[in-house]
Amino acid sequence: MKYKNQFLLSILFIVFGLLVIFVPNKKIAKPEAEHQTQPRSSIDHLQMFGRVAVLDEGRIKPLDTYARNVLLQFSGKRTFETKPAINWLAKVLFTPWNTYEDKIFLINSPEIPMALNIKTDPHRRYSFSQIEQGLAKLRQLAVAAEAIEQKERNIVENEILRVYHNLNLYLQLRSTFSFTIPHPDFTVQETAAKTSLDFSESKSDFSFLDIALKADLLNEETQDLEKKKSDIWSASEKEFMRLLRNLYQWSLNSSRGGLALIPPVYPADEAWNTPWEVARQSFSNQDIRHELGLIQNMANAYLYEQQLEFNIAAKAFNLATQTRLSKSQKKATTKIPFELFYNQSQLFFYAWIFYLLAFFLFLLSLIWPRPLMHTIGFCVLVIAFIPHLMALILRAIIMTRPPVTNLYETFIFVGFITVLLGIVTELFHRKWLGIVVGSICGLIFLSIADKFSAEGDTLRMLVAVLNSNFWLGTHVVSITIGYSGCCVAGIMGHVYILQALSKPKDTELLNSTHRYILGILGFGLTMSFLGTMLGGIWADQSWGRFWGWDPKENGALLIVLWTAIVFHAKVARMIRPLGVAVGASLGLVVVMWAWFGVNLLSIGLHSYGFTSGLAVNLFIYAVLEVLFLSVSVILLRRKNIFL
Amino acid sequence: MQNQKKKLRTNKILLFLSSVKIAVIGLFLLFILTFWGTIAQVENGLYAAQERYFSSFYFLAMGFIPFPGAQAVLWMLFINLLSAFFTRIIYAKEKIGLIIIHVGLLLFLITAFVTLHSVKESHLTLREGQSANVSSSYKDWEIAYWSGAGPNKSITAIDIENLKEGDNLNFGELGLNFTVKAFHKNCQAFAAPFAGITEKYFNAVGLNILEPAQINKEPEKNLPGIILQFVDDPDNPRLLLFGGEREPTQLSINGKVISIILRHKRFPMPLTVKLLDFIMDKHPGTEVARTYKSKVEIDHDGIRREVTISMNEPLRFKNFTFYQASYQIDALGRESSTLAVVENAGRLLPYIATFVTVFGLALHFLLAAFHFQRKRK
Repeated sequence: MKYKNQFLLSILFIVFGLLVIFVPNKKIAKPEAEHQTQPRSSIDHLQMFGRVAVLDEGRIKPLDTYARNVLLQFSGKRTFETKPAINWLAKVLFTPWNTYEDKIFLINSPEIPMALNIKTDPHRRYSFSQIEQGLAKLRQLAVAAEAIEQKERNIVENEILRVYHNLNLYLQLRSTFSFTIPHPDFTVQETAAKTSLDFSESKSDFSFLDIALKADLLNEETQDLEKKKSDIWSASEKEFMRLLRNLYQWSLNSSRGGLALIPPVYPADEAWNTPWEVARQSFSNQDIRHELGLIQNMANAYLYEQQLEFNIAAKAFNLATQTRLSKSQKKATTKIPFELFYNQSQLFFYAWIFYLLAFFLFLLSLIWPRPLMHTIGFCVLVIAFIPHLMALILRAIIMTRPPVTNLYETFIFVGFITVLLGIVTELFHRKWLGIVVGSICGLIFLSIADKFSAEGDTLRMLVAVLNSNFWLGTHVVSITIGYSGCCVAGIMGHVYILQALSKPKDTELLNSTHRYILGILGFGLTMSFLGTMLGGIWADQSWGRFWGWDPKENGALLIVLWTAIVFHAKVARMIRPLGVAVGASLGLVVVMWAWFGVNLLSIGLHSYGFTSGLAVNLFIYAVLEVLFLSVSVILLRRKNIFL
Repeated sequence: MQNQKKKLRTNKILLFLSSVKIAVIGLFLLFILTFWGTIAQVENGLYAAQERYFSSFYFLAMGFIPFPGAQAVLWMLFINLLSAFFTRIIYAKEKIGLIIIHVGLLLFLITAFVTLHSVKESHLTLREGQSANVSSSYKDWEIAYWSGAGPNKSITAIDIENLKEGDNLNFGELGLNFTVKAFHKNCQAFAAPFAGITEKYFNAVGLNILEPAQINKEPEKNLPGIILQFVDDPDNPRLLLFGGEREPTQLSINGKVISIILRHKRFPMPLTVKLLDFIMDKHPGTEVARTYKSKVEIDHDGIRREVTISMNEPLRFKNFTFYQASYQIDALGRESSTLAVVENAGRLLPYIATFVTVFGLALHFLLAAFHFQRKRK
């Protein structure tokens, strides 16, 4: 029993230690409570609006995804006031004046609010109205930070640029639909003028679009006016001229940014347009007028809280834009339902929960060892694996490419393979080894991935050199499977050490774990070698050399060399099973170095992953690992188990 | 045959050379070198790190501790592995995977040797409409000279890689002899009109000072400079050549105009390449490139065809391969494309070695897993 407790505590120490290292101040994503709170506006069901397609970062995606990414980018949170991101986005687009006081801008460095003369907020989140008075100063700081070379910028300078960029985007979003919002510039008071323009007499407040749609009538009414002196113009004629002047002014001064919601006017173009762009350039196009009109309908329904009308307008807008899409764009929009399902189902969250459950079942089994516990534990691991697998498949479908293209995706993919290896191990081993390893790996890698997902859209388009499904599918997939094999062997190495510490006499158990370490390490070596060499072949295909001692290539080679050293040292009888376990455990450090350590050097051809803040974590992990292994080896020496 | 093998297996020298411990030491040294060479790239750049840690036989760590370079370690592993084939490796059915793996690794070591000695890397930069039948080196230089003008002139080039001060240069057919008075691998050049500069030089643009500079981390950024003295007529002004010059320096000797230029080494190609169009495609609404393509026309012995070279899709021709490497757009908006040109006789070797080794690895671990499963039952 004493040993068991020791074992249990040690495992807890490793798992939670790693979690603390990799997930500071951040909880795993929670599924959004869409209907939990009292709606403040009757327009709370925005699923139809979330389906609207938008071109962002080179990809056609649903507005729902866009809203999630932007809110995460602004506030570091996935919901705002417990409502989904799309509700927040709709508020910014349709009723921007209601968002001035919303504390959505996360500013991590306290130096920035101080410089802007804003009272620091304990939650580090600020509203537009708070920042507005310091906007000029922020712009100044951003210009200064921009002048510094990217490599040389410190955390605060990067944060200034991030906040400034976010504010700019907010301002652009705010004015995206400004053409639909009634404005004093377009008020019509004169009854005669209203009649001439075919407006109902009861309404006086109009939007840019309302008046722009009457531009023909306005032209007719004003074409002879230049011949008359302005002091003899009638009240209606003065109103017409004011409206025309304001139309002109607005189309000159309106923002060019915002959401690219309108598909290209000419099918040969690929770039989508913002509503303001088409309002300026293609207003004579009947389809465009119709689509802008539908946006206006949405805006009116939103303003007057008419849920049904809003949904109908959103659906009509979707259908209208759909008819103008090219074949490839249509194909891209067919994936929107998958993406919406992916967004809403929170598959990784459920996988994470079940991995945690599987691990707790293992801990429970230490106190209460029953065969049934093992069966349940195994089933829970498999149940956790299903959403993980589904999420990967969905991502591959959405992007039509293998699901490993950026650092974020490598974490979820390595997590997936390690769990798969755990399941396969358990099918043969049947003594919890696979469940322990699978659940620990699933937990750790999904947690790290969650941290990375805060960087914005994780479904990104690829730069030219990576844009090859064949090589992504072979080199990248096999090298990440190699990482996975070495990670599993590394975790098994730790399990071996803990088993040796707690049950030094149980040679059968130790031998069995030892054999699995060798098997999985061999698998890791094979896949890492294959991946490294396929990488060489890809490099030969696209850069003209098989091997160039590039940092990332070297990293992969280090994994291969390290694993080969462990195997040869075993054959040469330089190490015993404990040595193999320690070697496999150290292999984890080598894998971490190859995986993202080399990206920290910011040199070479592969430095495309995001890595800031990781260096310290990686270093702490390496130190802790060496410390743990050294202490264990010393303790085991006393139990007559040698390296 | 059997006896011979037995005899080899008892040969103490062979046994020592084929020791697995040597393999472990070799792999470990390579591990350290790989790590060290990666870190060193931050400070010294890829080229210098590659020369010091990977291409060398040894280097001095901290200036005085000799440490084996990767070339020495790879030789050590090669000898170790080769002798293991005669002594330690057991030729049995169940060891077939291991044998194949090590044959594959032997092939890799041979590949490394062939590549180190046979690969020629160069590049070809063309503006749309331009064509060429020679490619330029990234970092190696030559002195080229010719007499006369026109497209059919015959150009001779002298490699300057091993040039030293005091060397004699002989422009054979033109009957010119020079002594190298100064040679800088990287330098700056000036045309100083001010007083105090008495020395006069033959130079295309009137340069008269070469100021040596520190050798750059990236060797392609070095600009060499050379000062040559006429052997037959030492009192004549000297000849100053600088790598940054575009135009040759022209000498008029016995009524013949001789042009001399210091330029990146040129390599003849078996075909003429003409750039028809360079296309860069971006992801819609972004500045992120989706693909780069060069449409070229290749002319080999008068037979012409159009080919598109794009990222990940190079053009192969005999031992030559042309890759889309980069592009430039000048101030006038004219596009030019840079193709990397690689001549490699052993191009297929790494492919074969990869296939053999991975096949062996898969076979070995599958057999081991199968064996393990059978033993369990």
